Amino acid sequence: MPMELWNHCENPYPFVAADVLDAADAVRASLPNIYCDPEIAARLYDEVLAEYVRCDEIGLHIVTNEHHSGINNLWAASPVITGIVARLTRKVRILSLGTLITVRPDPVRVAEEYATIDVLSRGRLDIGFVKSGATEMVSGDANPMRIREREWEAIDLIEKALTSHDGPFSWEGKFFIHPHVNIWPRPYQQPRPEFWAATSDMPTCAELGRRGIVNTLLFGGYDRTKLAFDTYKKARADAGLPPPGEDRFSYMAFCYVGDTDAEALRIGQKIPWFLTVSMKSAPQMAKFQPGNVTPEMAPAAWRAGFSKRPTDLSVESLIAQGQMFCGNPDTVVRQIREFRRRVGGVGRIIMMTRQGLVTHAEAMRSFSLAAKEVLPQLQMATQ
Amino acid sequence: MKPLEPEILRRGRGQPILLIHGIHPVSPAALFVDLLAKHGEVIAPSHPGFGASPRPPDFDTMYDLVHGYLDVLDAIDGDGVTVIGFGFGGWIAAELATLRPRKLKRLVLVDAVGIKVSGREQRDIVHFFNTAPDELNRCAWHDPASRPRGIYGLGWQATISDEMTDAEMITMALNWDSLCLYGWRPHMFNPQLAYWLRRIGVPTLVLWGGSDRIVTPDYGRAYSRLIPGSTFAVIEAAGHHPELERPRAFTDHVASFLRANP
Repeated sequence: MPMELWNHCENPYPFVAADVLDAADAVRASLPNIYCDPEIAARLYDEVLAEYVRCDEIGLHIVTNEHHSGINNLWAASPVITGIVARLTRKVRILSLGTLITVRPDPVRVAEEYATIDVLSRGRLDIGFVKSGATEMVSGDANPMRIREREWEAIDLIEKALTSHDGPFSWEGKFFIHPHVNIWPRPYQQPRPEFWAATSDMPTCAELGRRGIVNTLLFGGYDRTKLAFDTYKKARADAGLPPPGEDRFSYMAFCYVGDTDAEALRIGQKIPWFLTVSMKSAPQMAKFQPGNVTPEMAPAAWRAGFSKRPTDLSVESLIAQGQMFCGNPDTVVRQIREFRRRVGGVGRIIMMTRQGLVTHAEAMRSFSLAAKEVLPQLQMATQ
Repeated sequence: MKPLEPEILRRGRGQPILLIHGIHPVSPAALFVDLLAKHGEVIAPSHPGFGASPRPPDFDTMYDLVHGYLDVLDAIDGDGVTVIGFGFGGWIAAELATLRPRKLKRLVLVDAVGIKVSGREQRDIVHFFNTAPDELNRCAWHDPASRPRGIYGLGWQATISDEMTDAEMITMALNWDSLCLYGWRPHMFNPQLAYWLRRIGVPTLVLWGGSDRIVTPDYGRAYSRLIPGSTFAVIEAAGHHPELERPRAFTDHVASFLRANP
């Protein structure tokens, strides 16, 4: 499969005054929505949807997601926005990564929403799953314990709902009960849209491998990403399954493609806002949230003020850690090729570009360069 | 299925006094255990998933805990068990008592959670898992400085220090995870329980820390009103854990109650 580039935008809201953000204990879950100006939000929706339309024209696939109650993300419901994107676009694939299935009470509704989008887009939908956690458990009142088990049961039920075509079936599981499942419409793609999952949790990576689900790493860097992909491959080998193609592996990183390296670095520096400001969270929604780490990991987490965030947020260090691709088109091609080589192969790169303080115009320029000058080189390299 | 085999702290001799703990198992170093042991045999199991008590895979609801404690009651020699439930354990004890187990003779609820009292837009119980550690600590104690060393109640996260061993932290994390499994939603109450409290048929003392801001004394009074014939008493200068903050006053109240209901 030729290498693919995907565009993921969280549609952040970087317009709340710094003193308000500094005073808040969390900028997700608890920040009053009086600080969200609906006029600004409407403009942001317009701009990002216009970016998606451009992506459709130039061959960049599209990722949507959702987060709740915070400045980091205005997509409150991935199926809603994905449905809109399905109608606005004609050619590219659309991945919902995803709706928060550990927060939503009924996976059957999720399956029905996704089937609708798949038909609406005439088979261009991919369905992604995320385990979620942290502030989302608070804003969704979802028990943070056992979310891995809950996620798998939701995936199983969604898959069965999408692939059952002979009338109602019954589901009486540990977490979900639905005695009469019979979604309409059925999906356009047979037997079902492609499944993806975003995780760097190794037991989950192994299970994704056994199931052949696309494994996406978010900002995993070189080592963790390689470990995750190796875990996936080993689980398949151990189960006697054929080795996976590179299309089973996906990686999301910050990305800015500029006309020159200097310009890209200057604009790229606006992106780590996502890590420095938009993740500020209260301790009870982070390190002290039940299930956040295993009990054995608690001493390290509590003593060190544990954080998964990169400690050095300069663009240069993010590039060095493989968490950002940034430069002129040739530089970005070289960075992605290097990443691909060091993790043992990855077929689908998800670029997070319209992030932080990056403007609409700046994002549009990066997308054009990515599609016109980066993608063809990457595809030559993998054919 | 095998019966549960919880770890059990035992102290003293005489009439059985079953302690049903709150967010952490009863500490063997707690003074109130020694004081209570002068009035009977203190029996303090750790709930499944707390301390060293194993938790079977699908044991994860209040229903399981209540039936687990029915097993515990059955396993106690002799009749006439006094049950004392603390905080979250007070909820378990109240549920247990509505089932009228044969061996239950007296009930003491200490700063218990478990019921919904006020309107849908008033929170009765400060959210254990979604409240800043410092705020939990402030609400749970009359004077956070009076917390006994090495014994932890609500707000323990605010007091994590280098004195705490890794083993202690691992146990605290395990307890916190298990508590969440049982109590996240609805948070720390059973919407049906208030109605059924009328079935409690044994002498009951509802005991409350006067400074408890996790569940206030008014909530305790409402709890008591729903339990026929129960007595309500306040321990001043104590918060959510009067047995830890004022162990002697706490034990005096329990001892009087035992004497008054032989």
